[in-house]
Order: sequence, then C-alpha cells, then structure tokens
Amino acid sequence: MERSTTDVLVLGGGSTGCGIARDLALRGLEVTLVERGNLTHGTTGRMHGLLHSGGRYAVSDRASARECIAENRILREIAGHCVEQTGGLFVKRPEDPDDYFEQKLRGCRDCGIPAEVLSGTEARALEPYLAPDVERAIRVPDGAVDPFRLCVANAMDAEAHGARIETHAEVVDLLREGEEVTGVRVRHDSGPGKRTHLRPGTTEEITADYVVNATGAWAGNVAALADLEVAVRPSKGVMTIMNVRQVDTVINRCRPKGDADIIVPHETTAILGTTDEEVSDPDDYPEERWEVDLVIDQLAELVPILREARTIRSFWGVRPLYEPPGTATVDPTDITRDFFLLDHAERDGVTGIASIVGGKFTTYRAMAEEIADHVCAALGVSARCETAERPLPGSENLESVLERMDAFGLRSPIARRSADRLGSRAPDVLECDGPNPVLCDCEGVTRAEVRDAIAASGTDLNAVRIRTRASMGNCQGGFCCRELAQELHPDHGHEVTMAALADLFTERWKGQRHALWGEQLSQAMLTYALHAATLNRDRADDGPLEFGTFDAGPDRGGETGVPVADGGPEGSGPHGRERTRGGRGGD
Amino acid sequence: MSDADRFSETDRSSDASDPVSVFPDAESMDLRPGADDCYKCSTCDSVCPVAAVDDDFPGPKFQGPEQWRLERHDDREIDPSVSACSNCMRCDDACPSEVPLSQMHNTARAAYVEGNVPRLSRTYLRNRLLSNYGRLAWLGSKLPRLTNFVMGLSVTGWINEHVLGITSEREFPTFATETFRAWWRRRGGAQVENANKRVAYFHGDYANYNTPAVAKALVRVYEHFGYEVVVPPQRCSGTPMFANGMLGDARRAARFNVETLADLVADGCAVICSCTSCSMALRQEYPELFDFERTELVAANTYDALEYLRINEDLESALEGTETDAFAGLAYHAPCHARNQGLDGQALEVLESVEGVDAEDVGDSCSGISGTYGWKRERYETSMAIGEEMFRHMARADADAGLTECPTCAMQMHHGTGYEIHHPLEVLEAALSTPDGR
Repeated sequence: MERSTTDVLVLGGGSTGCGIARDLALRGLEVTLVERGNLTHGTTGRMHGLLHSGGRYAVSDRASARECIAENRILREIAGHCVEQTGGLFVKRPEDPDDYFEQKLRGCRDCGIPAEVLSGTEARALEPYLAPDVERAIRVPDGAVDPFRLCVANAMDAEAHGARIETHAEVVDLLREGEEVTGVRVRHDSGPGKRTHLRPGTTEEITADYVVNATGAWAGNVAALADLEVAVRPSKGVMTIMNVRQVDTVINRCRPKGDADIIVPHETTAILGTTDEEVSDPDDYPEERWEVDLVIDQLAELVPILREARTIRSFWGVRPLYEPPGTATVDPTDITRDFFLLDHAERDGVTGIASIVGGKFTTYRAMAEEIADHVCAALGVSARCETAERPLPGSENLESVLERMDAFGLRSPIARRSADRLGSRAPDVLECDGPNPVLCDCEGVTRAEVRDAIAASGTDLNAVRIRTRASMGNCQGGFCCRELAQELHPDHGHEVTMAALADLFTERWKGQRHALWGEQLSQAMLTYALHAATLNRDRADDGPLEFGTFDAGPDRGGETGVPVADGGPEGSGPHGRERTRGGRGGD
Repeated sequence: MSDADRFSETDRSSDASDPVSVFPDAESMDLRPGADDCYKCSTCDSVCPVAAVDDDFPGPKFQGPEQWRLERHDDREIDPSVSACSNCMRCDDACPSEVPLSQMHNTARAAYVEGNVPRLSRTYLRNRLLSNYGRLAWLGSKLPRLTNFVMGLSVTGWINEHVLGITSEREFPTFATETFRAWWRRRGGAQVENANKRVAYFHGDYANYNTPAVAKALVRVYEHFGYEVVVPPQRCSGTPMFANGMLGDARRAARFNVETLADLVADGCAVICSCTSCSMALRQEYPELFDFERTELVAANTYDALEYLRINEDLESALEGTETDAFAGLAYHAPCHARNQGLDGQALEVLESVEGVDAEDVGDSCSGISGTYGWKRERYETSMAIGEEMFRHMARADADAGLTECPTCAMQMHHGTGYEIHHPLEVLEAALSTPDGR
C-alpha cells in the first residue's frame, strides 16, 4: 500500500472541495484533494448552471440573497470565462399572486439587487418566445455559469499552486485514532495520477493534519466511516436539457414556490428545472418519467414553444440539504439552502476533521473561504484569503481574447465558442502544428482543445467532456465519441481506447434515455446504426434490442415490452407534440 | 414558423428610404429553434453539389442547423463559407426531418453580407450588379444590338474579369431584339378571353429580355387550351438576390410581386411560371423570408406552367397523335429547383406522347451554375466541376440538343456541350401547332 502525507486533505471534487483546495493552496498550504469520480461527479455536475442574483431568495431568505449578489459580482470578475451575463427575469402569469410580485421587487431592492419592472410587452421584446399572457416581469442580474469549467479552473489553479488532485480515488475508510481523524484510505481506480483505463487499481493511505469532508450529499456516508453522524437530507431534482436556447435570459416564475419554475440558457442549450423530492440514498433513487413531463408542461406555460422543442437529455441531481438536529422540516423545499460547517471537534469531540453540508453553488467561493479560515485557525496558520481578487486560469485579461482568435483559422462560430470556453487560455491551447479539425460538430470543439483536455485528464473521456463540452450537443456523442477516443491512440492501445470510448458513450446514453420518445426515438436508431454497424460495436450483443423496455409508444400507456414497430410514431397524437411528448408508458 | 420569426413588416418601414441597410431586422430572424429538427444524419451534406467538389466547403449541415445552434444572440459573425453555397436548395429536398435549411442559408447569407461585406468592395458591387440583372437587362434591351456587340467584345470580357470579377469564360446571353412584353403589347395582349380560365403569367426577367420564344410558347400553349393569359407588371422573382444575400433588394421586389399577383389571385387567376426558380421563389422563399400580407395566398396559388396544365387539362389526350420534327434527340436536365418542387419527372412524361421527340433524362446531378454563382470568377471552376457529370451524361445521350426549364441551367448546358438548349414549352408549342394538335 502506498502512503503519503499532506497538510490538508479535502474529500470531494465538487465546487466546494475544489474551491477549498484552491483557497488553501493559494494560502500556501499543502493540499491533497480526492474525488471518487471525475471532478464535478456529484452534485456540481448535475445542476442547472444558474448564477443567482439573489432574486430567488429575496422574499424567503434575505441573508442568502445578499450573499448571492455579492458572490455574483465577484464571480463575474474572477471567473469571467465561466459566466455568461444573461440577466434574468421573474415573470408573472395572470394566475400568479400580485402581492408576491411586489414582495419580490421590494426584497430585491432591500438586498441591493438591481431590479427593474418590465411590462409584458417589454419582456417579450427581450424574449420573444415568452407566453403572450405573461403580464409583468422583474429584471435582475441572474447569469449562467458553467459548473464544469468553474470547478476545473479551481482545481487547475490549486494544482498550479502545489496541490495534488486525485480523481477516481474513492475514500474507503477514514483513519481514526481515538478521538482524532488522521487521514483516509483511498482506492485508486487505476493507480494514482491521471486515469488510464485498464491499469490496475491501488490503495493508498493519506495522512493529513486536517481533513475536510466536502462530499455534499455523500457527507453522511463518508462521516460514518469514522463513526460520525451527519444527517444529510438528500433531495433529488430533475433537469431537462433542450437542444437549443429558446431564451437568452434566465426565466424564473414569480410565485412563492413550486416545482419546475426556472429556465437557464446554458451555452448552446437551455436547461429546465426542477423538482425537489427527498431520497434516502444519493446513489440510488428512481429517475422518473413524470418528473420530466412535469418540468416541460409547467415551463411551457412560460415559454410555449418548449412543448414542441427537442430535448437532448435529462439528468437528476441530489441537493446536499442539511438542517441542524431537531429542526425536522417536513417539506424538503422548506429546508434552508444555507450551508453548515460542522466542526466535529466541537460537535462530537473528534478532532482533525470538519464536514461541510448544505449551501449553494453560487456562493461556493464564500463557503470555501469560511472553511479555509476555519482550517487555518485549527492549524494555527495565518494567511489571507485571495480568492475574491485573483482571477481563475482562463479569466485573466479576457477583453483581448476574441481579437486574437483570427490567428487560428477557425470558422467564425467555432472561434467564438472556443474563445468562450477557453478564455485567456485560448491562444496557448489552440496554437498547434498541423491541422486542427473540429471533432465535435455540435459544440464546435477542435482537436487542439481535446488534446489539451486529454493532457490534463488521461484516458478519461468524460473528463475531456466536462472540460470541452465535446459530446454534450445535439448528437450526444453519437458521432463524436469515436473521434474523441481516436485521439487516445496510438499513445494508448486498442483496448484502452475502446474502454474509454465505451465509458463516454454509456454516460451519454444514460441521460438520453429520458429524451427518447416519439420521433426522437426513431432518430436514435441512427446512433445505434453508427455504433453497432459501422463501428461493429454490437458484436458482443447478447440478444435483440428491446425498445419497449424504455418506451412503449404513445398509445400503450402501462404496457411494456411492445416493439416500437407496433405502437410507434404512426399512432402519435397531433403533430409537434409527439416529437418529444408522445409515449408515457413503460418506463 | 411563427410570424415573429420573419422579417416584420412594421419594423421595416424605413426600408424604402434606406436602401443600404438591408438587414436591420436580423435579430428577429431567430432560426435557432429550426435547428431542433436536425438529428445530424448528414443526408444534406451527402447531396450537396458544392461539398462534393470543394473540400473547403463545410456543407449545408454546418451552414444551417449547426451554425444557427452555435450562434449566440449577440453574434454578428457569420462564417464566410456561406457565400460558397450556390443556393441550389438540394439540401431542402434531401432532409428527412424538415430542417428549414435554405431558409437558414438565405438568412445567414444576408446577415453575412450585411455585417461582413463592405458596401464599396468589389464583391459587394459585383454581387449587387448580378442580383439585379433585370435592371441591367432593361437598359441593355433598349439597344439590344449594340449591347450584344459590346458584351461580345474581348475588352468587355477583360473588364468583367479583372474589374468586376465576372468570369470571361462565359459568353453573355444575348438580348432579344424585341422583348416579350414589347411583343405582347404589339400583339394587343391576350387573344383569348375566358373569365373562367384565367392565368397570370410570371415570366421573370430572363424570358422577357433574353428568351422571349419561351414566353411566347407559353402564351400560345395556354391559349391553345382556351386560357386567358394576363401579363401583370412584375419585377425579378428575387432568386439571384437571395443567392447573393441581397435580402433588401429581394424584399422590395417580392413586395411588388406579391401585391400585384395577390390581386389577380383574388380575382380568380392562378399564377404560372415558365422558370422553375421563379416558381420556387414565389412558393417557398417568399413565405420563408417575408411576411407581407397575402404572401401565403400567392404561394398557394403559384404553379409551374407545365404542372398547372397537367393538373387541369388532359395533356396526354391532347398530345396524342401530335408530331414535330423540330426536336429530335433531346438531353433533358431537371433543374434542382424543379426537383425541389417535385417536378423533375414531368417534362419527359409529357413529351413521351409527342411523336418525333426523343428526350432522355441525363440524371440527377446539379448543372453547377446556380444562377449567378457560376458567373463569379472565384466560383467558375467549382461550377464547372459540379457540371462535369451532367456534361458527360449529355455527351453520352443520344441527343444533339438539350432540354431544361431553367434559363441558367440552359446556359451551363450550352457552355459545357455547345448544344442548343430548349424549353419544354417550346417543344409543346411545336407539337400542338401541328395539324393533329387539338
């Protein structure tokens, strides 16, 4: 077994963990971060990408609202290449309460959130696809943020300041000596360092002066390894990704609370969210069809063309909700979104460890700062936090990036998208010898960008995906998975390359299952044919494909296992609707 | 498409007074939702004649749904490669999923010209000149013999090539000594009056100035079947303007045509065209790009001339026993725009009934000229490379003349083979004027 030691060990490679790692590394501490999957694998990679203005909390939780607007302003500065300043609207339909609209407006103004009232006509001039009966709207500085890019940039900067970031390293035990936690035992999926498929795994004991449990919804499971109890109340929510942006502004519904009330324009797509339902196990919960139906139906009241729009996938995230023992809130939507730093020394008499639970993505930096302060105090280190002023890698001097793109001979939209994703790193990444073809057509990702991501993440194409957006577009990897895997060869052999390809393709398929009914289901056969026939990837297939197991067709509610040829698109409802909304049976 | 997606009539009120700002309304033309229909199958790329011969052209899938999906709301940058699209519209026809490809291309091209092509550049001036061919032709037709002489001079060719960027490889079409409209006036207009069978003839510029024989043939054929032909005032259909991104010019022409034709349609006339690109413009491009009142009405009542006769008359019986020896072996090329309207088979089916005519289809390739495209110096070679397949098939056919509905396909057929090229209406006219023609 390998052994190593570090000052601070951070468990969890989400926004909080990476934020803490960066903060501590900038303060000069030696940091190791371990994450069982990719960076963002848990909740960070499964959110709608809203950069809160605070407007959402302006009625119910003003402290959070103030914190949000402060962090919103900071992230625009330090993470410019991860943030799109879309602006946001709280729109009011005729049936939504007037007094709540007024409360929202007052709340925003009281919290220092710039807020402007638009008439329905003005709102539609800004967003032409808004429903004709939207009466009024409040305009606030909501934004869109790419959680992957932000998280990776934090990890990258932490590494640049000496941190060790280990992904695919699952914590299998917390090392506890009496009343002190001294480190962890991790299992590396393919040895330490960058991931290489098929390389044998190893186990390592990492000891540290202080352990930070930043595993979010999994914090209870991890704490339990040291016989500590953290009562996280994980709550799932569905998000549905639309193929194109129907809106360019964040659209919130202006009503007290409810499911399915937000649309976030995100890169090339729009993300619809969400639901809120408590689950017992953050690793095992049902992904249910009614949740997808609900968000589309409800949000189509705000933006009617959503009913006929193409969805490319749906995914579920698990909120790491927490409330102090004895609060016992019944409805998960009422549980506070505030975060809690659980100092186990104070709470349980066990030193050397703290757990972080609750919290919001928008305020990840402020949370990380508070935790880093706590760690420094525990270790007797005095060093100032710099994360509010220092731009993340890629966000330095963004103004001149677009002007410099001409040198790389890319087609206009590819150049624009590459510059958006890479920020100030664009010239370094795109400067390459030889041709630089586009590998992912849907998102406009070139070979140079893919190679840069591979250099940072080994054979893990899902890690390449979160760095580049390759395979996150319309075809969901149907066309480009192979192109991406091809880049691993000949540095890696055939088997490693194929294993990496299968990993990415499987992950892409997982979310697509929830987008396939009606016409889109038949279109998915193209991807199947490409992979099964053209790439000969069906040779190990052990039976005929059972379409009915995931969609029985529109008129076969409740029946399962009906081949699509019998109950397929011909039997669908009125045109348009069936494209995405046909079958409801047999999930 | 909702009305909000199109150019809004009210927003364009400054149009007439501000001819330079041809695309002020690009913002309201949000075609991103149109990208939803695409599932990336790439059939469009596989039928694109430009992509087949030009490795630098990224193809219709990129030009259309991919570029629109990647577009950001505030983007003004359209990739220059959209100018390499010839607007043959084959991709529209090929798409199994109803992606509005040519609408996306036309709109992107207009935005590109508006945002990226300087008004004083040679390319802009040349393209504006080419797209407004009708205006030049009007001038040229005033002194047709002199114009033909000047256009035939080698010095003119040199100037075109080097100053304007118009290829000197091609011979300019000659102007008729009498335009169709002059003939129509001289003739005293319609010879048949029939309140129950009236058609409005949209002849377009080419049949008027260059090939009045085609237009006259149409009139005679229609009068043969007892139709009253109306020849309303009209302007260019807009086809060359769409293809050059001159959407402001196209808009003005289209508005004029829609207003004039809609009155006639309301009065019971169908609109008929002898050029398949004109009918394509009236039927598909107008409704996709403009939202004048009654655009849809005109579109729904526009037909290709032969198509209209096939629907309303028993052409087969009428042609039974007819004969002509004026056209022996004909190599028929179906224009892409005819193909897109589902008209690619009709000419040969109709002419089968005519004794003495042996027409052979030379396959489904594109002629490559695509209107003004093949006239541009920088596109000439691409145009000829695309046309190569058609030339080869024409040479192999048992024919010594060509047949097609499209005037610029005819130019290309003639340019590539030296054959004389005819229009199906001319053959029909000859057949029907034989003693047996009933």
